[in-house]
Amino acid sequence: MTAAGASKTYTIPVGPLHVALEEPMYFHFDVEGETVRDVDIRAGHVHRGVEYLTAKRSIYQNVVLVERICALCSNSHPETFVMACEQIAGLEIPERAAYLRVIAAEIKRIASHLFNLGILAHLTGYDTLFMHAMQVREIMQDVKETLFGNRMDIGAMCIGGVRYDLDAETTAYLNAALDKLAPEAEALAETFRSNRTILRRARGVGTLSHNQAIACAVVGPVARACGLDYDVRVAAPYAAYDRLKVDVPTLADGDVWSRAMIRMAEIGVSIRLLRDCLRDLPGGPTRLPDRPDIPAGRAMGKCEAPRGELVYFLKTNGADEPERVKWRVPSFPNWDALAFMLRGAKIADIAIIVNSIDPCVSCTER
Amino acid sequence: MTRVPEDIRARLDAAAPAGIDYEATVSPQGAVTAWCGLANSEDLLSVGETLLRLGARLAMISALQPPAPEEEEEQETEEGAEADKPTKEPPKTFGGTPLDGTSYEIDYHFVLGGDFVTITAYLPAGGSISSLTPMFRSADWPEREIMEMYAIVIRDHPDPRRLFLDPAIESAALERLIPYSTLVNAASTKGLWDKVLAAKGSAS
Repeated sequence: MTAAGASKTYTIPVGPLHVALEEPMYFHFDVEGETVRDVDIRAGHVHRGVEYLTAKRSIYQNVVLVERICALCSNSHPETFVMACEQIAGLEIPERAAYLRVIAAEIKRIASHLFNLGILAHLTGYDTLFMHAMQVREIMQDVKETLFGNRMDIGAMCIGGVRYDLDAETTAYLNAALDKLAPEAEALAETFRSNRTILRRARGVGTLSHNQAIACAVVGPVARACGLDYDVRVAAPYAAYDRLKVDVPTLADGDVWSRAMIRMAEIGVSIRLLRDCLRDLPGGPTRLPDRPDIPAGRAMGKCEAPRGELVYFLKTNGADEPERVKWRVPSFPNWDALAFMLRGAKIADIAIIVNSIDPCVSCTER
Repeated sequence: MTRVPEDIRARLDAAAPAGIDYEATVSPQGAVTAWCGLANSEDLLSVGETLLRLGARLAMISALQPPAPEEEEEQETEEGAEADKPTKEPPKTFGGTPLDGTSYEIDYHFVLGGDFVTITAYLPAGGSISSLTPMFRSADWPEREIMEMYAIVIRDHPDPRRLFLDPAIESAALERLIPYSTLVNAASTKGLWDKVLAAKGSAS
């Protein structure tokens, strides 16, 4: 590698397999002493051709396939895909299904955010906090196992509604779990807000400015930590979000700590949403009675996944298989912002900054 | 929050002198989904500039090779693709690109507030289109992905390297059937199959 300009910079590779990165991604850092000057990202280590597979399976089989694109936002993929199908077929889902979709999505969001916050603690070397966050997350993992029978791929979505229901027993269980979670989450938030180890490692580190955030088209907590007030649940409500009060927390600093605090605040929002849903949950069927054919057409679907706006494009031609399914996960534009966050950063902070966009590699590369 | 303005159709019309095919739907919750086909793919840059001025965010770019209507065979197999071409005059897209299974459709999905505006450009086989990356930073990766997945030429891309695929893999990967063993470079697969056949032979 030729060092750019002065002979003072040299290149260090990080990845594709690296202890600090949970998934394979290959970085080339131009460094000067301990300071990162430039970064080049080389992707593709978990490219699996899922887009090709979607064209070989029927629309109904694809509901199952797209759930397997990613583990942490597994529910958001089928959720958005079935919304696009429903748009094309002109279906309106039952009221109860709309609320149950919100419940599934918010449970997944809490578990996903707690995972990312736990990893942040781990990367700062504060492993007690890491284990504590993972223990709190275990409450939501147990909820998923109890309500859906699975801890990651919950299989809750179907075209025309949902594939699960809540009865008196599971509702009481979920309510009790939220009562247990709420004080734990508040205590965690207080630790992230005030602990000096966290503050020293995360404040003012990996900064992304408001204008850079707009230029990179970042979404989700990364955007909201730069003061961009955009949340699909509010900007284009779906499911039952138009009947619920969704707070959109934003911060101005755009550093690692702000992104963590946005996720922490969103856990609180999700807990309130879950309680509101359980309070307002209407009766009635959980899905449409039959499996409708999806006619020829095109549709755009989008939802607020834990990492931000997830977009689906679906084009059908009346056949069983879709003509084209294309999606863009929230991590996809967020990678680009790393170039700005990492310039000027210390080598020791690379892992913390990369983790702060909550990157999902299997989602990005599909 | 900026949403799609009332006069979006007139603005897009003014930016695309060759003409547009505009259609919009509004969801029960009020979100607009607009679709705008371009008669001439060369109008993409001026349409992009109009949307940039409106504060639109380029959320995604989808490319596809629409199959010819009533024609079952897509260009999936390497062999025989030429032989399957329809002999009659193929139907055409808006703007006159032949819809024969070899042409391309590229959809640029913009987000304005909570609304979608999708700009569609049609390209014949071997066609090329301008890069939006100098205008929208977020077009960089999607355009690089399109260049490796399809035989589409994107002009003036500032960094036209491979995104996901290794340079050793032939381009237009999504237009061909690549056997799984080739894809993952699984040298053991044939050996495994030979073993299976040998075991079957000795059993019978």
